Amino acid sequence: MKKERLNNRMIKTGFEQLTWLFAACLLLLNPGCVKVEYSKIDDPAYLRVFNNLNYVQTLGSKDNKVPFFCMLINPVLDGNGMPTSAEIVGDFLDQRDAYAPPYPSHIGTSTSLNNPEYPGKENVLVGPILNGFDLSSWAQVPSGKIRIMFAYRPKNTVPFFQLENQLKKDILIDTVLNLTSKEVYTLHVLQKDFVTKRTGLLLREEIFQKLPLSDSLTYVNFYNMSAKGYWEADKSLKAEDYLMASFQGGMKDEMNVFLSLYEDQSNLSARAATIPGFKGKYLANVKLNTTTSDVTPYVSFPIWSGKTANGITTNMWQRFDFFVPGMDITNNPFYEASTDNGGNWVSVNCLQNGKVRMTSNDNAAILPNLLVNIHSGVNNPKTFATVNTVEVVNGRVYLTTIQRKYAPPIY
Amino acid sequence: MGKVLFALIVGLQLLFFAGCKHDDLSVPLPNENIRPAADFVKNNYEMRLFYAALKKTGYTEQLNGAGPFTVFAPTDEAFNRQGIYSTTDFDKMNVDSLKKIIGYHILPRKLMVNDMPSNGVDIRYATLTGPELYLSRAAFNPNGGVENELYIDGVEVIRKDVVVANGILHLMDNVMKPNFNKTVQQWLAAHPDYSVFVQGLKKFNLWDQLAIGTTFTIFAPNNKALEDVGITEASINTLETGKYIGDRLFGAYILYGRHFFISDSQVFSLINNNGAYNYFLKNDSHYMNFGGGKLYPEFKLGYSLTLRSGNTISDVILNSVTSNLTAKNDNLCSNGIVHHLIRGLVTPEQAIKK
Repeated sequence: MKKERLNNRMIKTGFEQLTWLFAACLLLLNPGCVKVEYSKIDDPAYLRVFNNLNYVQTLGSKDNKVPFFCMLINPVLDGNGMPTSAEIVGDFLDQRDAYAPPYPSHIGTSTSLNNPEYPGKENVLVGPILNGFDLSSWAQVPSGKIRIMFAYRPKNTVPFFQLENQLKKDILIDTVLNLTSKEVYTLHVLQKDFVTKRTGLLLREEIFQKLPLSDSLTYVNFYNMSAKGYWEADKSLKAEDYLMASFQGGMKDEMNVFLSLYEDQSNLSARAATIPGFKGKYLANVKLNTTTSDVTPYVSFPIWSGKTANGITTNMWQRFDFFVPGMDITNNPFYEASTDNGGNWVSVNCLQNGKVRMTSNDNAAILPNLLVNIHSGVNNPKTFATVNTVEVVNGRVYLTTIQRKYAPPIY
Repeated sequence: MGKVLFALIVGLQLLFFAGCKHDDLSVPLPNENIRPAADFVKNNYEMRLFYAALKKTGYTEQLNGAGPFTVFAPTDEAFNRQGIYSTTDFDKMNVDSLKKIIGYHILPRKLMVNDMPSNGVDIRYATLTGPELYLSRAAFNPNGGVENELYIDGVEVIRKDVVVANGILHLMDNVMKPNFNKTVQQWLAAHPDYSVFVQGLKKFNLWDQLAIGTTFTIFAPNNKALEDVGITEASINTLETGKYIGDRLFGAYILYGRHFFISDSQVFSLINNNGAYNYFLKNDSHYMNFGGGKLYPEFKLGYSLTLRSGNTISDVILNSVTSNLTAKNDNLCSNGIVHHLIRGLVTPEQAIKK
């Protein structure tokens, strides 16, 4: 009897406690309710911006102005021509990274405000999935005519509009672009002439999302967006960066690109076994162009061509040799580790994450593998074909990889 | 059971309260004996000459005032290197120019090492006199490793972050040598020690550009240095300008368009693993390697120049000079910097036109 009463009491208090808990939750929930205003851009165009004006902090270049910008779209100016606000602000725009990944994954571990591209680390509305391609590295911007400005800013962590007034007046570029709704654009800030130091923009309307591309081929196109007169200029005027190896001195205005595919990227040697049929195979011709925005044709290679490729994963890696017309890997007169070739021969190895050093004597810059190996579904790793752009700018080479949306991993 | 527990708890509470009695609680008072900047300098025998200069220029009262200040105080040894050995030596100097130079060693702000940008090169701060000084701080190597070196106008800071009541004091290994509105041309003209060099520059039409121009770094050989390579006042008079390449014979000492303190080379070798700078002489095929750093065995800043007949490995070295008179380098002028070179680079025979 006593036990039963106790039980009843316990049930009762349990119920009371629950009621109280519920009431307390309601109290907490009420102030937590806010109406979220989702931002929306009607008729957007998709824009990705790269700052190709590169710099290295060296003794010779210590007095040069650092190309570190704030990008302003449709800025509002005061009476003195100083920007006071803007519709879209891409602050802390630093020189671009050697690798522009398919997803803005560099946000993940970064503790720096400096942005290697726009939108990059910015928290803005991004593009949708178009024809399977995930455009989360492209920001939505209003279509039609937009005014765009690139303002020099000091390299610190103070947001542009909080800087002192005299620091907000140094504008590098102020121009108007015409963007079509639902099109995909990449915008490059470039040096167009190495002697006069003239800079400018290059707006490219991308077409990859409109092409019928295969899932078992990797596509790549090449651009030479170097400044006029760069490769001819004296070495003492160029920034030294040993990681760029043969690219440091630049390459000639017209080059042929040859592709070699290697079997195994765990073997860090350019003398290792290549895949039959893919040793110095002619791929494309690339000409210096900083004025017209034509997309150069995509060329492709099969991703399952290696001996160890099994249709799920492959360990293959790529090497691109750029030779002046008339020269190829069979009549190459230079020693394999020769980096200073007068712009006649430059090369780049694309393997692993691009942060490795070759063990063989080699003259190549190193970039990440064009193929993406990642855990997807039950396969870890699974190899994905990608669409790539290799851009040569002065003494540097850049890789942009675009990937289709893929299945999430199953653990 | 419950009652016992209750009694125990109450008892414990009582004990707690009793334990909280602190009759003789006392907080240490802040030290009121930290000295202001000028008094601190006065009381340090390592800085006697600097204190004499402060007194002579009337800065002592200001430096004992409210502040905040940052004082870059040269040691007595630093003044000795400038030929100032006793406090009376300041009496021979013009008080106004001394005041400008001493004021250049003081910032009207508090600047600790941690407030300076890491790996910042040529960061400028306004001084009490007005003109800006150039500060470079090597803080880390991008490949890993901590560095901790600080240079101001090319002078090494040998003791950092000394806290005084109204600011911060940093101890300098040399006296800074700002020349304010003087150009490199005026500087060279005012130093008779370099008269043969000046005469040569004039003879080969290299002189006038130094008054205008943009920026120069000049490695100036004194008369003794040029005598070592067979150039004297008399021999210049007999030289036929048409026969010699002036841009090599005297132009070799001019680095165009650059603004290098010797310490820049040291800073870049710490933060970028490369403190060298190589360049072709203007209007000539000859190639110069410049590099600075701390020289063995004193580990004081110095630099070396190596002149080659071209930029390939097979080209001949004409001459190589290592100049280690730290105190005579880094003369900051309005359009560049003048360094002292202890030995000449090019003999007249090496500059004959072919």
